[in-house]
Amino acid sequence: MKIFARRLLAGALLSSTFLMSGFAAVAQDVTMVLPAREVGAPTYDPIRGTKLNVATTLIYDRMMLQDADQSFHGQLATEWSVTEDGMEWVFKLRPGVSFHDGEPFNAATIAWWIPKFAGTENAFMTEAIASVEIIDDLTVKFTMKNPDPNLLSNMATTFMGVPSPKAYDAMGDGYGVTGAVGTGPFKLESFTVGQETVLVRNDAYTSGSALSENKGPAHIARLTFREIADDSTAFLELKTGGVDMLLSVPADFRTTMEAEAGLTVVTMPGRELFYMPINTTVAPFDDIKVRQAAALAVNQPEILANLYGGIGAVADTFLTAALLEGKVKDELRISYDPDRAKALLDEAGWVAAADGTRSKDGTPMTVKLWTQNGTEFRRITEVIQAQLAAVGITAEITVLDPASINDEYKKMTEHQLAVRSYSYENADILDWFFSAERLGYPNVSMWTDAVAEELRIKAMTGSRTWDERVVNFTAYHEYVLTQFVFAPIYQPVQSYAFTTDALMVPEVIRSTRVQSQTFLDIMVK
Amino acid sequence: MLLFIVKRLLLLIPVFLAISVVIFMLVHLVPGDPIDSILRVGATPAERAALVARYGLDQPILTQYVTWFGKMVLGDLGDAIILRRPVADLIAMNLPHSLALGSLALVFSTVVGITAGALAAIFRDTWFDRGVMTLILLGSTVPSFWLGLLMIMLFAVTLGWFPVSGARTASALVLPVLTIGLGGVALVARVTRVAMMDIARRDFVMMLHAKGVSRWRIELGSVLRHAMMPVVTILSLRIGWILGGAVAVEFVFARPGLGSLLITSLNQRDYPVVQGCLLMLAIAVMLGTLLGDILQAMMDPRIREGMK
Repeated sequence: MKIFARRLLAGALLSSTFLMSGFAAVAQDVTMVLPAREVGAPTYDPIRGTKLNVATTLIYDRMMLQDADQSFHGQLATEWSVTEDGMEWVFKLRPGVSFHDGEPFNAATIAWWIPKFAGTENAFMTEAIASVEIIDDLTVKFTMKNPDPNLLSNMATTFMGVPSPKAYDAMGDGYGVTGAVGTGPFKLESFTVGQETVLVRNDAYTSGSALSENKGPAHIARLTFREIADDSTAFLELKTGGVDMLLSVPADFRTTMEAEAGLTVVTMPGRELFYMPINTTVAPFDDIKVRQAAALAVNQPEILANLYGGIGAVADTFLTAALLEGKVKDELRISYDPDRAKALLDEAGWVAAADGTRSKDGTPMTVKLWTQNGTEFRRITEVIQAQLAAVGITAEITVLDPASINDEYKKMTEHQLAVRSYSYENADILDWFFSAERLGYPNVSMWTDAVAEELRIKAMTGSRTWDERVVNFTAYHEYVLTQFVFAPIYQPVQSYAFTTDALMVPEVIRSTRVQSQTFLDIMVK
Repeated sequence: MLLFIVKRLLLLIPVFLAISVVIFMLVHLVPGDPIDSILRVGATPAERAALVARYGLDQPILTQYVTWFGKMVLGDLGDAIILRRPVADLIAMNLPHSLALGSLALVFSTVVGITAGALAAIFRDTWFDRGVMTLILLGSTVPSFWLGLLMIMLFAVTLGWFPVSGARTASALVLPVLTIGLGGVALVARVTRVAMMDIARRDFVMMLHAKGVSRWRIELGSVLRHAMMPVVTILSLRIGWILGGAVAVEFVFARPGLGSLLITSLNQRDYPVVQGCLLMLAIAVMLGTLLGDILQAMMDPRIREGMK
């Protein structure tokens, strides 16, 4: 029996050695194109950076990762607990982890890391943490100033990748530009901002999370991320084999790419949402009935079908479908209802003429509809203009560049309606866009409401646990929906494409976008 | 000649001062600021105000200008707000790419343009002239981004001769150079043709014909040489364009360059970078104009005399 067990063990070892050598033999260079939104990220410094790209998730491990279903899974932290009052967190750290420069990762790293955020643009990530205490070499305790149920979510973001203290302090302001050192599955070899980033595999890597099949070194030996701003060029690079994978595929190119032999296009739920903020302080939208009418005039299914070929989803709340706080009562969802829109305008005193246009006391119902430059924005805006006209609202379109449009919003009284989008994965986006502290921009709706402020503050600071936070943000979200301060429009999908001859990409993406957990499992043919 | 050059250089000083004021004011008068681009979701108004103060954007515009100009004359162009690097480093990273692309395109358009223009003038009103002029018309009207995509489709996708994009290899320069160069060919050829036809009607050319000098010797030795004056003027004006005018081509071919850096930074209102890039372009235009003046003075003694 002992001999059989030994042989079995020897056989298993041989098989695994063969498999590993097989993977090593096929490991090759892979070139990918970064998503358009990530082009121009200036640094790989997660502490001070405000725009980071996906390569950051490969250089740095995080304490934990978030799955597509919003659940958390340990990476540098193996387990964690929080007291009932939310005032103390204890994290157990993964043993045997080293940075790319050979420095050990341990509790002292965390004690150095958390205070580094103070005074940076990312300070809010850790501002609820009063102190970090080293319990032992692999255990730390956070004592909080106030409960922060969003702490895990923050720690799972790219901005909380853990850098090597020695390298970080040595490089000073140049950190992230001249070099970047983490514990992740890839090491930074070179970085030319706006052009390309080259990563090489960390052969000593063993920190793969539960979200990856592969817990060890990546199958890709050398990974180049190119930054190509023009979609046509990126597509032609993929078609000719100049690159192996596009991490984002624009909606206009999806059908063309799907028709190409040798290319696989995969779509997954998106993180973006198009919406139309309504300036609540400028007539006629200071009347909630008119706001509601404008919101109900937006025909989301038509936009989804005609502009996007049915790919994506209608938006009927302010949050993307993946967020738990987006699961509001059905009757509060804002959906196309032209008859109700017309009735509301009638009730508000806006009388329809024979040609369908409306006026009140001799004033025609003509409103400003702003949008930013770019084909997609202009197309959606033109459709919405037609949809508003169908209920009697004449909208005049103005196109501005993104920086100028923000400046115009800050004048507070110049705008009425606008078409905008955001890409974000946390319900606190509601606070960003509707807080009375940020009127003009980003609160384009210019909305101040005592009840809303009470609910917002409760959602932001009055929750002790994640579940409580979900409940509080859902209540705030539901109230926002009742006031028609915006009209939801459309939720795009995310798409990526790769050459089937070159790569095998996992079918299930265990994240809200393709990042480190997926890269560990990508195999080169 | 030395006196001529010194005088022209001295004239550049007030021009440079005026340009620095115009650049600074234009950049700061455009609506928008860079802070919105670096502000994270969740930042409070106080945090925004702190960022504005950190970058000195809360100072009066005149104070900001004096600070920037004072540093600039000492060679410090400041640090990029969004890109978080010294502006000089960013320009140094991108300038070689712009110079390589622009100068090769200029050489291509000069050689091919002068040759095509001269041949069209020599064979004026023939099928050759009409053919060249039709091609020139096409070349000057086709947008460069579209021409670039056509080039990629033909030479990179169909024939596979060159890479689609990037700046990793020398071969990656060929298609962008052709794309930009063809636009320049049209301009240079048109100016050369018109100038040669004008010169060809002058009395001294008639006299050379009357003396029995061969046609080719007259056309290439006398007419073309005299027709180079307007061509030199056009080429000197294009030196500034070489550095910053290739934005669309840089975009299509995913190449770095000053033009792309300028447009990206302008979209994000990264003031120090925009100011640095515009200043570089202004200096290039001024030096190009100076070079053109010197070349013209070398070719025409009347210009030198006029400056005395």
